[in-house]
Amino acid sequence: MRDLESENELLEDISARFDTDGWVQRERRVWVKVSKENLISMCKYLKETGFEHLSAISVTDWLKDGEFELTYHLWSYERKTLLTIKTRIDRENPIAPSVSPIWSRNAQVHEREMHEMFGVEFEGNDDLAPLFLEDWQGPPPFRKDFDWREYARKEYYNKDNEREAVYYE
Amino acid sequence: MKKESPKKRKMKRIIKAIWIFNWFNSCGFAELVPVVGSRWDMERFGMIVTGTPRHADVLFIAGYQTPKSIKRAQRIYEQMPEPKVVIALGSCTMTGGMYWDSYNTIKRLDDYLPVTMYIPGCPPRPEAVFEACAKIFKHVEEMS
Amino acid sequence: MNEQMALEPIGKNEYELFFGPAHPGSGNFSVKLKVDGERIISARADPGYLHRGFEKLMEYRLPIQNAVLSDRICIFEALNWNLIHAEAVDELMGIEIPERAKYIRVIMAELSRIQSHIIWYGVFSIGTGFDTGFKMAFGYRDYILDLFEMITGGRVYPTGYICPGGVRRDIPEGSEEKILGVLNKIDEMVKLEMMGNPALLSRVKDIGILKLSDAIRLGATGPVLRASGMKSDVRKNDPYEVYDRFDFEVPVSNEGDAYARYMIGIEEIKQSISIIKQALKELPDGDFVAKEFKKPKLNIKIPEGEVYVRNEISRGEAGMYMVSDGGTTPYRVKIRGPSFLHMIPVLEFLLRGSQIADVPAIYWSLNICPADLDR
Repeated sequence: MRDLESENELLEDISARFDTDGWVQRERRVWVKVSKENLISMCKYLKETGFEHLSAISVTDWLKDGEFELTYHLWSYERKTLLTIKTRIDRENPIAPSVSPIWSRNAQVHEREMHEMFGVEFEGNDDLAPLFLEDWQGPPPFRKDFDWREYARKEYYNKDNEREAVYYE
Repeated sequence: MKKESPKKRKMKRIIKAIWIFNWFNSCGFAELVPVVGSRWDMERFGMIVTGTPRHADVLFIAGYQTPKSIKRAQRIYEQMPEPKVVIALGSCTMTGGMYWDSYNTIKRLDDYLPVTMYIPGCPPRPEAVFEACAKIFKHVEEMS
Repeated sequence: MNEQMALEPIGKNEYELFFGPAHPGSGNFSVKLKVDGERIISARADPGYLHRGFEKLMEYRLPIQNAVLSDRICIFEALNWNLIHAEAVDELMGIEIPERAKYIRVIMAELSRIQSHIIWYGVFSIGTGFDTGFKMAFGYRDYILDLFEMITGGRVYPTGYICPGGVRRDIPEGSEEKILGVLNKIDEMVKLEMMGNPALLSRVKDIGILKLSDAIRLGATGPVLRASGMKSDVRKNDPYEVYDRFDFEVPVSNEGDAYARYMIGIEEIKQSISIIKQALKELPDGDFVAKEFKKPKLNIKIPEGEVYVRNEISRGEAGMYMVSDGGTTPYRVKIRGPSFLHMIPVLEFLLRGSQIADVPAIYWSLNICPADLDR
């Protein structure tokens, strides 16, 4: 098990410049929490210091807290470390700044998918048209308050059909 | 000797060879393509894959369907000339299968297309596909 | 042909062409092209034919059920996706996997990678009109599928063979000789292929050139990035399982065109064969599953936490982000597939300025799997 020197150095460097809360999980994995206001300035700094590959953008729906949590997974080819940034936004009015000016079309298409699945508005993203679904009238599908099993039973299955009665148990 | 109707005589001549139009989604691709390949060769039975629905007799629907892709399949079905037959491959195609609780898959293919033959399995073996094609020959004969 | 042409004149010679899913040169994807004569002006990808909402389906199922569901993320490399899911659950639960299980996992993952590259070679040939290559490829692939059936029980879907805790059952007696026999056959196929085919060469050389700065900016990974000049492979930069103990090379090219990507695929088959031979030689004895999972228990609670796992599958870099809040099912799973970025930004970028006849060659050289794009 090698010592986690470069990961600790990275964490100290970021904590010195921005107001964050972070930890080193294991070798090559560093996690950092930041507020919505500091997100763009931190991303700009990280892109300049070598984190040029954005691996994924994801949204987690914390229904009990009433918040969405955005996570950005960044990989640096030089340092060989994965840095994850987490930030929270309000669930009733989900608006977040877009990172597509920094990571170009890579970020733009990830945000387009998150807009369709969760309903998050990204300010600064020029194309938020639906990606996968055609003529979808319901709520954003991946939110926790949309129960799929109930939806499938109502929409597709028939309780009187004896073969499908098993889905209603 | 029973006199055969002219239509039945014509059908017997036509069904020496069957042309198939593949409409496969994901899983169907990996199990249907070896059937055309060199180990499970389909061409020796007279079945060829064509690129256009206007020349096809059989529409092979393989893999789970979503509302977006079933619309395209219906349009293709309408473009095919009579007599035509639909074969459904895989359990996810017929009943929703493993994705029974997904909001975006078709759960009953019969509601959208008239299916003649069902091949269950996840995914079905190539031998099952052959048996289905052999039965198709008999069915087309009996259809008239 | 099956393109549905919407003849809406935009400029003098311009019209819109819908290169749809029923075209013999495409897979389950469609692209809306704005065309001027034969030249493409702009392209817009139209995915979504296979969307089932995989990530939320996994939230309703236990990890042992997810192990079986995870091979259906992309049928061409079912064992690799099995491996990613198993690694994510292992890391969340903090389980120590026995050594023999790690080696077996690596052998199965490399066999799956070879099989996926063979499919790539087969459909690439058919997309550019080389029918013999297609028949040969699928003939040789069946040897590997027979191996899978002997070891895991299923030809294409291994029924969750690589599950959290190790693997489901040990490899049977005598399978090491069988694996080496199959590898010799694959070696033969690669030698036949490396002889070069002038007809194929002229159709794919200098088509779809992607420069390194564009590749990094648009998020390309895997063979697409390596063909543009960057030597990066997750197995070397971010090692998982026991890949840091093997000696293998990472093929790179500086050309960036469709031919370079295709040749890198062939070269990687050779490297995978070498890794499997090394693993079979060093295969240790021992358990094939961790102690906690020896007696199967259904309702195990996953401890609270989050993890991001990265693997190298044949198409590029795959990732899985799993969050758990202490229950029996995962709270959120995010699957990052390599084809998502290869289809939408990279394909649209490469199609600008090329000809309609080149669309299948460019598409198949990027090796897109529509299932892990739509999930």
